[in-house]
Amino acid sequence: MAPQPVVTGLSPKEGPPGTRITIRGEFLGTRPSDLIGLSICGCDCLLSAEWKSPNKIIAHTGPAKGKGDIIVTTISGGIGTSTIQFRAYHETIGPMKESAVWVEESSIQSLAWGRRNMAPVGYTQEDPLGLSIEGNDKKFPEDIRDIFPEGNGDLSQENFSPGWFLLENHHATSFEDLKAGLAYIKRKVESQKEGQLSFLKSNAGSVLDQLDTLMTIRSKIKEDNKLFGSDTLKDLENTIQSSISSSSEIFRDVLERREKADSTRAALTTLNRHKFLFCLPNSVDRCAEAGEYDIIVNDYSRARNLFGKVDIPIFCKVLEEVDIRILNIRRKLHQQLVQLPQSVEQQKKIIKTLINLEIQQADTKAADGFQAVDPAWDAIEARAKYLEATFKKACSQYSLKDANSEKSKYGGEIGELPNRVVFCEEICEIAASQLPDIWRLGQAYFAGELRGASDPKPGDFKKIILTGIEKMCVYLRSAIFYAFDHRSIRSMFPITWPTGGSTQALSQFLVYLPQCLRFIRIAYASLIQLDLPSEALDIIQKLIDEVRIFCLSSFFKRAIDKIKKLNESETWVFSVEDFPGVTVLPSVLEKIIVETLEEGQNVCMNPEIRENNLMDAHPDAQREVSQRLQDMLIAFCNVIELLAYQINEEDAHTPIVSQLIGFPNANQDGFSCRYSGLSWEQRMLCCLANCLYCDKSFFSYIGSVFVKFGYPTPKAAVDSGRTHANLLFSNLLETYVEHKGDPLVGTIEPSMYIGHFQWNTVEFNGKLRPYAQECCDNLVGVYSEIFTISPLLLHAILEPIVQTVAEELARLVSCVQDFNKGGVIQANVDIRLLRDALKLFSNDTAKSYFAEALEVIGTVSADDNRKIEDTLKVIKEQMSLQILCFSIDGL
Amino acid sequence: MSKKPTTGPALHKVIMVGSGGVGKSALTLQFMYDEFVEDYEPTKADSYRKKVVLDGEEVQIDILDTAGQEDYAAIRDNYFRSGEGFLCVFSITDDESFQATQEFREQILRVKNDESIPFLLVGNKCDLNDKRKVPLTECQGRAQQWGVPYVETSAKTRENVDKVFFDLMREIRSRKTEDSKSTSGRAKDKCKRRKLKCILI
Ligand SMILES: Nc1nc2c(ncn2[C@@H]2O[C@H](COP(=O)(O)OP(=O)(O)OP(=O)(O)O)[C@@H](O)[C@H]2O)c(=O)[nH]1
Ligand SMILES: [Mg+2]
Repeated sequence: MAPQPVVTGLSPKEGPPGTRITIRGEFLGTRPSDLIGLSICGCDCLLSAEWKSPNKIIAHTGPAKGKGDIIVTTISGGIGTSTIQFRAYHETIGPMKESAVWVEESSIQSLAWGRRNMAPVGYTQEDPLGLSIEGNDKKFPEDIRDIFPEGNGDLSQENFSPGWFLLENHHATSFEDLKAGLAYIKRKVESQKEGQLSFLKSNAGSVLDQLDTLMTIRSKIKEDNKLFGSDTLKDLENTIQSSISSSSEIFRDVLERREKADSTRAALTTLNRHKFLFCLPNSVDRCAEAGEYDIIVNDYSRARNLFGKVDIPIFCKVLEEVDIRILNIRRKLHQQLVQLPQSVEQQKKIIKTLINLEIQQADTKAADGFQAVDPAWDAIEARAKYLEATFKKACSQYSLKDANSEKSKYGGEIGELPNRVVFCEEICEIAASQLPDIWRLGQAYFAGELRGASDPKPGDFKKIILTGIEKMCVYLRSAIFYAFDHRSIRSMFPITWPTGGSTQALSQFLVYLPQCLRFIRIAYASLIQLDLPSEALDIIQKLIDEVRIFCLSSFFKRAIDKIKKLNESETWVFSVEDFPGVTVLPSVLEKIIVETLEEGQNVCMNPEIRENNLMDAHPDAQREVSQRLQDMLIAFCNVIELLAYQINEEDAHTPIVSQLIGFPNANQDGFSCRYSGLSWEQRMLCCLANCLYCDKSFFSYIGSVFVKFGYPTPKAAVDSGRTHANLLFSNLLETYVEHKGDPLVGTIEPSMYIGHFQWNTVEFNGKLRPYAQECCDNLVGVYSEIFTISPLLLHAILEPIVQTVAEELARLVSCVQDFNKGGVIQANVDIRLLRDALKLFSNDTAKSYFAEALEVIGTVSADDNRKIEDTLKVIKEQMSLQILCFSIDGL
Repeated sequence: MSKKPTTGPALHKVIMVGSGGVGKSALTLQFMYDEFVEDYEPTKADSYRKKVVLDGEEVQIDILDTAGQEDYAAIRDNYFRSGEGFLCVFSITDDESFQATQEFREQILRVKNDESIPFLLVGNKCDLNDKRKVPLTECQGRAQQWGVPYVETSAKTRENVDKVFFDLMREIRSRKTEDSKSTSGRAKDKCKRRKLKCILI
C-alpha cells in the first residue's frame, strides 16, 4: 500500500465557503479516480475536487465554519493527514462581493463549483492575452470599421476578427509582449483541452455506464409510446405547467407579504436614514434656544445639500417646515442681534450665523419672508443707537437726581460727589466702553469677516463713530459748562443740564472740575488706543482743551476770590527789606499766585497724550490768562484801597493840633492797638508803600513768575495792574496829603495873628515868629511819621504839603496891608527860613510861592538884608536839628 | 481529525514578504514541491508546513506566503505578528519591488518591535540577470545597512532556494536557543519573549 496522503500546503489558507483552494501535499492519489474522499473542515468537498497531480488537488470549500484539517482519502493510501489547517469564515454578502452562495434567483452567475468567476458582474473582462492594456488607452487613430468591414472586435461575436481586436486593444503593445500573450493563450487552451481529454479518459467507465443508461431510457420510452401514445412529453409539459401555476398560487400570498414587508423595511430604512431631516425642525429650535448656532448652520446646510434638490413630497414638506423654522430663527436672531447690551463676540457669532443661514436660504421660497441684508451693519447701527440711548438715560437719570437733591437738601451730602460729576464720569465710561465695541465690530465688518450681502458703507460708519464721539462731547459740555457765564454758549447746546444753576452748586462743582477733566482724559486715552481716525479724536481733544482752559480759568477765579479777602490777612508787618513800608500783603499775593499756577500746571497746562500746549494752540487761553491776571492785580489794588480807607473809631482824631491855638493835644494812649499798634495814618502810609512797590517792581515780578511757569509775558495785564496801582497811589496820596496838610496849613494864619499881632507894629527881636516855628515843627512831625514807615514816601508826600504851606504863606503875606520896617525884616526872616529849610521838598510851584511872598513883602535895604542874613544864620544854628531832618530825602 | 501533538519536532515559522509578482509563491512552491509555476496567480495568504532535516535534526518549517498586492496590505500586520523569521523578497528585474522592501522592513520591525529578528533580503529571478534593474551593490548595501544577509535566488532554476530557507531556519533556531539560555538577567527581553510565546500558544 502506498503511504497515506499528507496535505502540506494550502492556497489560500482561509476564506469563505466556496473559496477555490489549491491543496498540495504528497501521495494525494495516483490518478483522479484514486481520490475517493476530500474533507475540508469536516465538510465533504469531493464533488468539487479536481485532481491535478499526486501533489496537487484543486477544490472549492464547502459551507463549513471555523478552523479544520484537510483530509484526503485515496484508494491507494487510505485516510490522510494534514500539517496545516484551513480557516473558514462567513462574510456578509454585498452586491460587490463575489460569493459562492448566491441566494437571488435572478443571478446570471454560474453556480458551478468547478469554475471560478474572477470578476463580478459588469466588471471589465480581463484581457484574453493576459496582458496589461496600459499604454493602449489612446484610441487607434483610424476607424477600424473601414479596415474590417465584415469583422467585429467583440470576442463573443460570431464575426470576431482578431485583427480588429488587436488593433483596438493592443495597437501599442510590443511584439515581444504579443508573443508572450500568444503563449499565454496557448497554455490556457492546452490546459483546458488536456482537462477534458483526461477527464474522458479517466472516466471511460462511467461514460459507458451513461451510454448504457441512455439506451435503457430509449427503450423504456419506446415502450411507453406504445402504451400511452407519443404525446407523453405534452402530458409532462401540462403537468409541469399546472405545477408551476399551483405553486405560484401557493406562494403568491407569501410573495406578496414578502414584497410588502420588503417595502415596509425599505421605508423604515429610508426613514431611519432621514430621521435627521424629520427631527430637524425641532432640533434647530432647540439649538437656537441653547445658542448653538454652529450646529444649526451645519445641520441646515446638510439638510439643504441632501434634500434641497429632491422632489419627494414628504421631504419637500419637511424641508419647507425647516425653512420656516430657520426663517423664524433668523428673525429671532436678528432681534437678538440688535438687543443690547451684549458682547461683541456674541454679536459676531450671531452675525456669522445669520449670514450663513441667509446664504443657504437664498434660493428657497422662504427667502422672501425675511431680508436682513446686512446683519453686521444692523448690529453696528444698533450699537450706535444704544450708545445714544445710554447717554440720554444717564443724562436724565442724573439730572433728575440732581434736581431732587437740590430740592431736598442744598447741594447734596458732604463727601459725596455731586451728581453732575458722577454724570461726567458715567458718560466717559459709557463712551470708553461702548465706542471700542462699535469700532471693533466695524473693523471686523470692513475686514470682510462679517461681510453680508450688500457692500459696506465706510462713510456711514465713520459718521457713526464721529456722531458717537460728538454726542459724548455734547453731554460733557452741557454738564461742565452749564450755567457759567456762558449764557450764549448754553443756547448752542442741544442738551442742557437742567439743574444745578445755583451759585453754591456751581462753586461746589468747580472743585471737581479737575476730576472731570481726568475722566475725559481717561476715556480719551482708551479711545486713542483704538486707532480711530484723527478727525474723531480731534473732537475730544477740542473738548479737553476747552475744559483745560475752563479749569485754569476757574483756578484763577478761585485765586481772585482769595485775593479779595486778603485784607483779612494783613498784619502790617514790614516784609520787604529794601522797600520799607511794604507789608506782607504782596508776598501773600505771590504765594496765592504761585499756588494757583502750580495747580494749573499740574492739572491743565501740562499736555498729556495727544494734547497740545494750551498756550501755544489757543489764543483764547492766552487772553483768558491775561484777563485773569489783570483781575487779580486789580483785586489786589482794591484790597489795598480797602485797607487804606479802613478807619476805626479810635482813629477818629486829628493828630496834628496847634499848641498855639490851645487845642488839647490828642492823648497818645488812645492809639489803638488793633492794627498792630499802627495808627490809621501809618497804615495809610503802608498802603501807599504797597502801591508804590506794586507799581515799581512787584507787579513786574509777578509777570516774570508767569513767564517762569511757561506763560507768555503778560505785559498788558502787568501794565494795567501797574496803572491801577499808580492811580490808587495818587488817590491815597491825595487823601493823606489832604489829611495832613489841611490842619497844618490851617493853623498858620491863626498862629500868625495870635495875640493881636500886627505886621506894622513889629519890633524885630532877632527871633523867629512862633507861627513859623510851629509850622516847621509840624512839618517835622509829618516828616518823622513818614520816615518811620517808609522814607521812600517822604518826597511824594512832603512836596505837596510844602507847596500848600508856601501857597498859604504867599496868600497871608499878600493879605497884609502894611508892614513896618520891623515887620518886613521879621517876615523876611520867617519866610526865608522856611524856604531854606524846606528847599529839598520844594517843587517849582512852591519855590515860586516863596518868591512871590518875599516879593510882596517888598525890597529890603542892603543893611537890613545883612541883618536878616545874620539873624537867619543864628536861627538856623539854633534849629539845626529840624533843618537837618529836612535835608534827608529818604530816596 | 486528531489534533497535532504539542510536543514534537521544533517548529520554525517563516513568513514570505515582498511586492506582488516578485516570486514569493514561486520560491515557496519550489522549496516545498520542487515545482516551478509559470502562471502568476496573486496570493492572498497561503500556508505550508513540512518536516525537514536541518543540520541532522528533524524540524518543521511553517511557511506563510503572504500577499504582495497592495489590496491586502491591511491584513499583513496580523500575519507578521506570528512570524519568527522573514524572507523579504524582491525581484532584481523590478526596481520598485526593491524599493518596497524598505517599507516591508519597517512594517516588520514595527510589528515585531525587535531589531534583530531573523531576516533575509532575497533578490529573486536572478536567472533573468540580463534584465536586471537593481544593481548588486545596491542590494548588498541595503542588506549591510540593515545588518542582514543578502542572497540572490531563482525560483525557476532553484538556485539558492534551499539556502535561503535553511539559512533563515538556522537563524531562527539560534535565536531560540539564545533566548532559552538567557535567564532573568535581562528583564526587558524576557518580557518581550513571554509576550511572543503567548501568541505562539
Ligand atoms: N524567470 C523567473 N520568473 C519567476 C521567478 N520567480 C517567479 N517568477 C514568475 O513571476 C511571476 C510571479 O510569481 P509569483 O511567485 O506568483 O509571485 P508572488 O510574489 O507570489 O506574487 P503575490 O502572490 O502577488 O505576492 C510568475 O509568473 C512566476 O512564473 C524566477 O525566479 N525567475
Ligand atoms: Mg504569491
